[in-house]
Amino acid sequence: MIKLRLLQLWVVDKIMSLVIDKKTYKSRLIIGSGKYKNFEETKKALEASGAEMITVALKRTNLGQNNNQKNLLDYIDPNTYKILPNTAGCFSSEDAIRVCLIARELLNDNLVKLEVLANKETLLPNEKETLVAAKELVQLGFSVMVYTTDNVQLAIELEKVGCVSVMPLASPIGTGQGIKNSSNLKSIIKNANVPIIVDAGIGTASDATIAMELGCDAVLLNSAIAMSDNPIQMAEAMKYAVKAGRKAFNAKRMKISDIAVPSSNKTDTLS
Amino acid sequence: MNIILNGKQFSIDKKMSIKDILVQNNIGGKNIVVEVNKEIISKSQWDQTILKENDQIEIITAVGGG
Repeated sequence: MIKLRLLQLWVVDKIMSLVIDKKTYKSRLIIGSGKYKNFEETKKALEASGAEMITVALKRTNLGQNNNQKNLLDYIDPNTYKILPNTAGCFSSEDAIRVCLIARELLNDNLVKLEVLANKETLLPNEKETLVAAKELVQLGFSVMVYTTDNVQLAIELEKVGCVSVMPLASPIGTGQGIKNSSNLKSIIKNANVPIIVDAGIGTASDATIAMELGCDAVLLNSAIAMSDNPIQMAEAMKYAVKAGRKAFNAKRMKISDIAVPSSNKTDTLS
Repeated sequence: MNIILNGKQFSIDKKMSIKDILVQNNIGGKNIVVEVNKEIISKSQWDQTILKENDQIEIITAVGGG
């Protein structure tokens, strides 16, 4: 009996776990580290979110700073959290590959979040350059989690070239508009054999839940937490939102009916 | 001798190594990557890599991002 219970728990745990590049994560929430007031707030939000993976960007250091000035990596322990370096600010495959090589040198890890943007106004992905960079990075031994549009065919191509996760946007970066095209996301999920992670556009907890209910394997968000009035509380809300969405997805929702259906039995009514 | 450090022009003494530049700019060796002319120079080479006229040096670290 105890053995059966343990087996059940193990199965439930497996269903609820996310596997990216052969590593298992209990949390299906990945958060970004940008836009927080300070590193202390970043750390607290990360803890409250329950996320095990956090994205970082790579930039030039400030010259002439105090030698003892704290760095983001002093607050986020790479032994506790998986650090996911991104290629933010890259508009060509060449630049993105260069940033990935720097990331590998800095973090001694092959996992990267590839994003190649089309232009500074829309911040939408450059589909062609993204595919070129993904292909080359895989050949260079990187494990690529790739930010992309909700273009179904491109998602298939990105998986085909060897990306370990495909991450379509819900809506443009930093807009908080939520999921703009759930049909495309569903189609991407249906055709995928790697984790599909909604990345960008999530505005609040219900958006994250909807993404998970659609069948996404995880959600990656930053501004929704950092730009809320209370990032620590929102981080916690996102933790529950993602869990709720995943459980609802596993439980499979009821069918929608065009007509009302009473909740109580029709027989033995008083009238 | 002139070099470009993180996009800005600097005048430095001849025969300065990457390590000398880091010390001069008060940059600790932790959590950074150094590129010279878009080529990554590993930490073990910082001492021996002597900078040349017009070298472009980038010192990069992790910052907040989504």
